Amino acid sequence: MSTLSISVGPQHPGSGHFRIMVKLDGDRIVEALPDPGYVHRGEEKLAEYRNYIQNIPHFERPIVHDSSNILFAYVSAVEDLMKLEVPERGQYIRVVMAELNRIIAHLYYMAIYGIFVGHSTMFMWPMGDRELFIDVAQMISGQRVTFAFLLPGGVRNDMPEGVKERAEKACDYFEKRLVEYEKIFINNPLFERRTRGMGVLTKQDAIRLGVVGPTLRASGVKADLRKDEPYAVYDKLDFDIPVSQDGDSWARAWVHMEEMRQSMAIIRQALKDMPSGPVKLNLRGQIRAPSGETFARTEASRGALSFYLVSNGGMMPYRVRLITPSFRNMIAIPHILKGLLLADLPPAFWGLDYWPVEADR
Amino acid sequence: MSFVNRLFSAINSGTKHLFKRRFTLRYPDQKFILEGEGYQYDPKNGVGIAGYRGRHILYLERCTGCSLCFMMCKGISLAIEMINLPDKQISVNKKSNFPQIDYSKCVYCGFCVDACPFRALFETNDYEVVSYDRESLLFTPEQLAVPPKKPKGTHDLKYGSRGAYHA
Repeated sequence: MSTLSISVGPQHPGSGHFRIMVKLDGDRIVEALPDPGYVHRGEEKLAEYRNYIQNIPHFERPIVHDSSNILFAYVSAVEDLMKLEVPERGQYIRVVMAELNRIIAHLYYMAIYGIFVGHSTMFMWPMGDRELFIDVAQMISGQRVTFAFLLPGGVRNDMPEGVKERAEKACDYFEKRLVEYEKIFINNPLFERRTRGMGVLTKQDAIRLGVVGPTLRASGVKADLRKDEPYAVYDKLDFDIPVSQDGDSWARAWVHMEEMRQSMAIIRQALKDMPSGPVKLNLRGQIRAPSGETFARTEASRGALSFYLVSNGGMMPYRVRLITPSFRNMIAIPHILKGLLLADLPPAFWGLDYWPVEADR
Repeated sequence: MSFVNRLFSAINSGTKHLFKRRFTLRYPDQKFILEGEGYQYDPKNGVGIAGYRGRHILYLERCTGCSLCFMMCKGISLAIEMINLPDKQISVNKKSNFPQIDYSKCVYCGFCVDACPFRALFETNDYEVVSYDRESLLFTPEQLAVPPKKPKGTHDLKYGSRGAYHA
């Protein structure tokens, strides 16, 4: 059997900044090997030369459209080292920002997924509707993409007046939009024919490979750190974890869409229950973490995101290890692409919600 | 539902949008309202005051030249540089050192504002820092001291019965 090897990537032909070495027999993929590292920038090493505050804008860069969730894990790790107790209002604002970011990131996923299955309406709509939530996040934090909003000890500023009304209007409108998304994209028979039964990851395989996040939940495993190891105030909020038993590319899109519904429910509850009080501890001067090591993880939009932090008592971390969800989901790429047609590579690959920048760090 | 029904339902949900208001903000002609005076920081309570994080404003009479903003930016984007202006005589600033910001590098994180203990550096809601060459993106302390023009934004995000739109 003679096979043809082609390299998909790394300069963004439909794979992100990332290369997949694809071995083809005719039109069918025999082997697909991911080749990460094209956008590696050494965030972990850079962090050793910056103090705990200066690291904040740096750690946003791997996932700019999910910046609050990656910072959530980082500040939790720093707070764990310093033994800080965040004021309750600060924790609620953090949860609101994290969930707004989850919706923004999921909408980005839907848009990219839409354009790669050739559905250009599904690119335009989510990209437009992201604005609803970016608008709310901008009101709170003052920035549109890289919020740099979470700090060790709380959040940077209190919410201004009118955020609650604005967020509720956005949620009300977006709930109606999600019904339209369902009609035009998720339940569109053409999309279903394109993605049903494609890139199947069974429950056993998903557990064996150790994938995380929506990919794992689409394979029928009910695992979400917000429920399993509640951090911040997630244990006080009432929400569901959408789980699909199918494990194919369609189920992944469905899980993302349902998660946006749950995120909106969390935002509504958090804004309603939010107590008054300080949002941040008044830490004076340079932050110095006492020597020790810690491990903190949160549920980012793509799955469990972990920070391992070692401090030797100085102004800068001694060692930072960042384990991102995309890095852990990369192992599923050869598994799900095997046996598909080459033309099915973009839908199967983008359904996985793999983000090369996040994986390469 | 059958294949055909669902297909028509999909086409229908898109067709409806021909009769809805367009969501897009037509940017240079229409501008978005930004409320407030921009991001500020209250060193007494150690907490920021919410606002848009755009280009900075430097209050020269309060700046002591302590270069804390420079030290903070050194590890982030290297956008701030301290320069000496001997002809600026300010009583609190004996050596006449002031920050100069290079907006081709600035990431607008606003940690320089948090670092300033004298409330001399704030961020305004001027987001239109654009130019045809890199030299004009280098803002000297005198340029930073000029308050930005009030943005003439009139458009805001509205939610009507025919969908969301900017008006």
